[in-house]
Amino acid sequence: MRRITTLLALLLTVLPALAQEVKVEEHTLENGMRLLLVPRHDEPTVAGGWVAHVGSANERPGITGISHLFEHMMFKGTPVIGLKDPKDYEKDLQILAEQERIRGDMRAEEAKMRVAFRRGDIDDLAKPENKTARYVELEKEFDKLVAAERELIAKNAFSQIYTKQGGSGQNAFTNTDITGYFVTVPKNRLELWFWMEADRLIRPVFREFYSERDVVFEERRLRTESTPTGRLDEAFEGIFWQGHPYSWPVVGYPSDIPAITKAQADDYYSLFYAPNNLTVILVGDFDSKDAVALAQRYLGRLQRGKTPPPEMTTLAPKWEAEVRFYGEAETNPQVDIMWHTVGFQHKDSYPLSVLGDVLNGRTGRLFKGLVDLKPADRALATQARGTQQSRKYGGLFDITAEVKEGKTPEEVERAIYAELDRIKTEGVPDRELQKVKNNSAAGAFRRLSNNNAIMFQLISNDGLGDWHEMNEGPKKIQAVTSADIQRVAKAYLVKENRAVAVYTRKGGSQPDDPALAGVPAEMRPRLKSQLAQIAASTDAAKLKENIQRMESQAGNAPPQMKSVIELMLAKARERLAQLEKK
Amino acid sequence: MKTTQATATAILSVLLAVPGGLSAQTIPDHPDKLTYKEFSYKPPTAKEYRHVLKAGPVAYVAEDHELPLVSVTVTLRGGTHQNPEGKEGLAELTGYLLARGGTKTRTAEELEEELAFLAANLASGYGDDRATVSLNLLSKDLDAGLKILREVMTEPRFQEDKLALRKEQILADMKTRNDDSADIEARERAFLAYGEGYAFNRYITRASLDSIKRDELVAFHQRWFDPKGMIVAISGDVKSDVALRKLEETFSRWPLKPQTAPPLPKPSHKMPPGLYIVDKDVNQGRVSVMLPGLVRTDPDYFAAELMNDALGGGGFSSRIVNRVRSDEGLAYSAGSTLAGGVWFPGIYRASFQSKVRTCAYATQIVLEEMKKFIDGGGTDSELETSKARYIETLPRRFGTKAQTLGVLVDEEYTGRYQTDPNYFANYRANVQKVTKADVSRAAARLLKGTPTILVVGKKEDLLNPDPKHPVKYPELAGGKVVDVPLRDPFTMKPVAPATK
Repeated sequence: MRRITTLLALLLTVLPALAQEVKVEEHTLENGMRLLLVPRHDEPTVAGGWVAHVGSANERPGITGISHLFEHMMFKGTPVIGLKDPKDYEKDLQILAEQERIRGDMRAEEAKMRVAFRRGDIDDLAKPENKTARYVELEKEFDKLVAAERELIAKNAFSQIYTKQGGSGQNAFTNTDITGYFVTVPKNRLELWFWMEADRLIRPVFREFYSERDVVFEERRLRTESTPTGRLDEAFEGIFWQGHPYSWPVVGYPSDIPAITKAQADDYYSLFYAPNNLTVILVGDFDSKDAVALAQRYLGRLQRGKTPPPEMTTLAPKWEAEVRFYGEAETNPQVDIMWHTVGFQHKDSYPLSVLGDVLNGRTGRLFKGLVDLKPADRALATQARGTQQSRKYGGLFDITAEVKEGKTPEEVERAIYAELDRIKTEGVPDRELQKVKNNSAAGAFRRLSNNNAIMFQLISNDGLGDWHEMNEGPKKIQAVTSADIQRVAKAYLVKENRAVAVYTRKGGSQPDDPALAGVPAEMRPRLKSQLAQIAASTDAAKLKENIQRMESQAGNAPPQMKSVIELMLAKARERLAQLEKK
Repeated sequence: MKTTQATATAILSVLLAVPGGLSAQTIPDHPDKLTYKEFSYKPPTAKEYRHVLKAGPVAYVAEDHELPLVSVTVTLRGGTHQNPEGKEGLAELTGYLLARGGTKTRTAEELEEELAFLAANLASGYGDDRATVSLNLLSKDLDAGLKILREVMTEPRFQEDKLALRKEQILADMKTRNDDSADIEARERAFLAYGEGYAFNRYITRASLDSIKRDELVAFHQRWFDPKGMIVAISGDVKSDVALRKLEETFSRWPLKPQTAPPLPKPSHKMPPGLYIVDKDVNQGRVSVMLPGLVRTDPDYFAAELMNDALGGGGFSSRIVNRVRSDEGLAYSAGSTLAGGVWFPGIYRASFQSKVRTCAYATQIVLEEMKKFIDGGGTDSELETSKARYIETLPRRFGTKAQTLGVLVDEEYTGRYQTDPNYFANYRANVQKVTKADVSRAAARLLKGTPTILVVGKKEDLLNPDPKHPVKYPELAGGKVVDVPLRDPFTMKPVAPATK
């Protein structure tokens, strides 16, 4: 006991108010493009990135996925980059125009195929056998033009030029709110960075548009369609955000991706990739005077957009009703609860974020309340976590948990609400709150450990609306009180504000309990569903009744049924013992 | 509260609009015409950071005062290959519970609370070929942290209830073994490459997990936690001499009498060539084309690396990506990797994921590209690009002090520090001297054999190609396709496929 008190005395000395400030130089070019510069000299490289303030939230049904497809197209070159001989540019443009003409005819055929699909004449638009004869013909013509263009193209030249000059980690990402592009170059190659990025911003050429569209569809298959819960997750998010642009997937609907046209991509570029909608971010070993001069010379040439990008005005609708979603997948049973909350820099986002931290970790409320209980059979989940997600146009609070064998998703769900209720009524004790804040402060440091990490922080925060958040947010977290947490929990984490997804293992994919090994195969499915019912039963009296009935039948059962009844009895008694302990 | 430091120096656009001398500078019409100031880069050497502690461990120490954090990593000889037969999971459980199961003076709960309050990240675990214990915390708490680190390594409690909980979590993971096609592919790949009995392929089973008792964790720890084989790295906000002194203290008077762990056994299995299909109902197939690899000490190692870079390792400057992805739009991710085996040759692998009905076509393209490389070798431009990538990106491996120590520890642990201490100093020259003939030789060596091809996807569709590219899998494999059954997730024994 004495040891614990001295330990506490030692620990209660709280962290000094930690305030990590990243010094950022901010500049604005005449054309409205902003520059964020962080000179830092511990590695002879520069992490260079830029962020376009556009994402899938700026789309509409019909062109969902265009922001992301566009991100891919930005690597396809310029008049100078991407051709074996830049003198062939005119020829290249002719081929591209010709390709578009044929694609126009192909789209007419696609429209016919969609009609046939709506009438039920064909079963699947993606099936190659369902293409019309004319379409197949046009496709051959198109492929010839692709082959002709291939003669002129220097494959992936944009990336190769960087590679030859020591550029690395070149990539880009798109989310609901922003699109970010980045690469790291040796410190003496900063001008190369400006040359390349300015060239693709000023005059991108969208070569290989249609094969890249297929690449994007493969990305969709990889991340969404062929993962155990990808499709369900997408559907659940869609339902949660119904009526709001966050409802469609960033990668795009499967019917939209193959229908996006190059003309749509051109329009999108001129609207959203104007310099006044972009911010350049450099972190690393450079002199900011040089960087500003290079930015003026290279990026200053971009023309300010004729019209500012349209504002996304839709607010997430309030449903005033709980939404429930049940799905089956090849996964362990799990529960996912999402509440509508608030977005980036909303004053309530800080207490909500702290609430997430109170729930998480091995000393968090969910671990102690659902995962690590004594005796162990009281535990309901094998893992659980909660997070506040603050996006640009709204936010959500999300708690997910994996259901422990023998327990039901509904039990887990109730236990989660019980933990939240406790916080709503009792608040969070000082020491626990301080612990969470200590971790938040240390986490803020850990996020600044290298050039790339700082660049990503700036891309993300500026993309969402204000890079200062990187320095100011951690201070707001430190100011959160227990009363703040109680207030936001009561205000947002309520029934009519939530959507609940319950996933259970798809029939037939349930790994067998080894106890079932001795049971004839044809009896297993029935037995499994009965055992699941037993495991899920919550009424001790009724269970007792069933046990007695089974006991009385056991004697009369045919020999091949004996082992089955014994197994069911054993499981039922086990469950009863659990119920009576509660 | 600290007052806000002057941060953003907002320069008005008016200022920027003033035409300066710079705007007169012309922009070259192609980036190849840009000129750059030379700068020389010297990779770090072990000598600058390396010390030997009195108790035996080698210590790498580096100062970095930018952030008030310190990071300590202990690397230990051993690996999951040390699991006795039938006790698969013992090393994993011991490794995990070292940090998570309490110590002699602290219950697991007390330890977790203390670490959490200090915002200290403490983790431990056993991997294939090494064990690690790591700690990252605020520099002001370093003394408290090192005390905990010592306790955890010398007097772990292995609390019974935490063992039971960990087993429960492992069991939950076990149930998902057939859920994700990526997991199935990774697993079957290793079975094909190294054989059923090899260390990497001895999985935790329900039976092995059930059989493991706390006493066995205690014994495993007592037996193998040998400070002599340890390598410690400490970097961050602490003076080097102070850090060294603290480490001496942490490792002195080691209370255990452990043994030195045996090395990772080498696989004796010969990879069986052929085409192997795991039938899994997903609309995107996962394909691996595998051939025997080579060790990183092989005289052809650099040539092989550069060959791989041009063939499929170099992202958008490689042939497989250009053809499978950019030309044909058949995959999002495609490429190849050369392991450059540390302990044994390992495998050379090209891989991609494509919709099931175009998998065979994409596989054919990969095989074609391999053949083209054997026949024609690489081009000057490819060699130049690959060399530039290898040479110019070397500094990135030493981007932070923690990364630098990570690389140096790995060199020491895997023995190259002892056999080739100038590896990084000579790296540039070794890459630079590779010729096209060397690359061709490496291609001939690595690519000539008959590959082992593994495909995971819906078999019916895999064998029913898109009519536009009617490539048939059996034809790629000399007519023979081997069905690979799924495994029972609890025993990892193959489950007889349903007869159709």
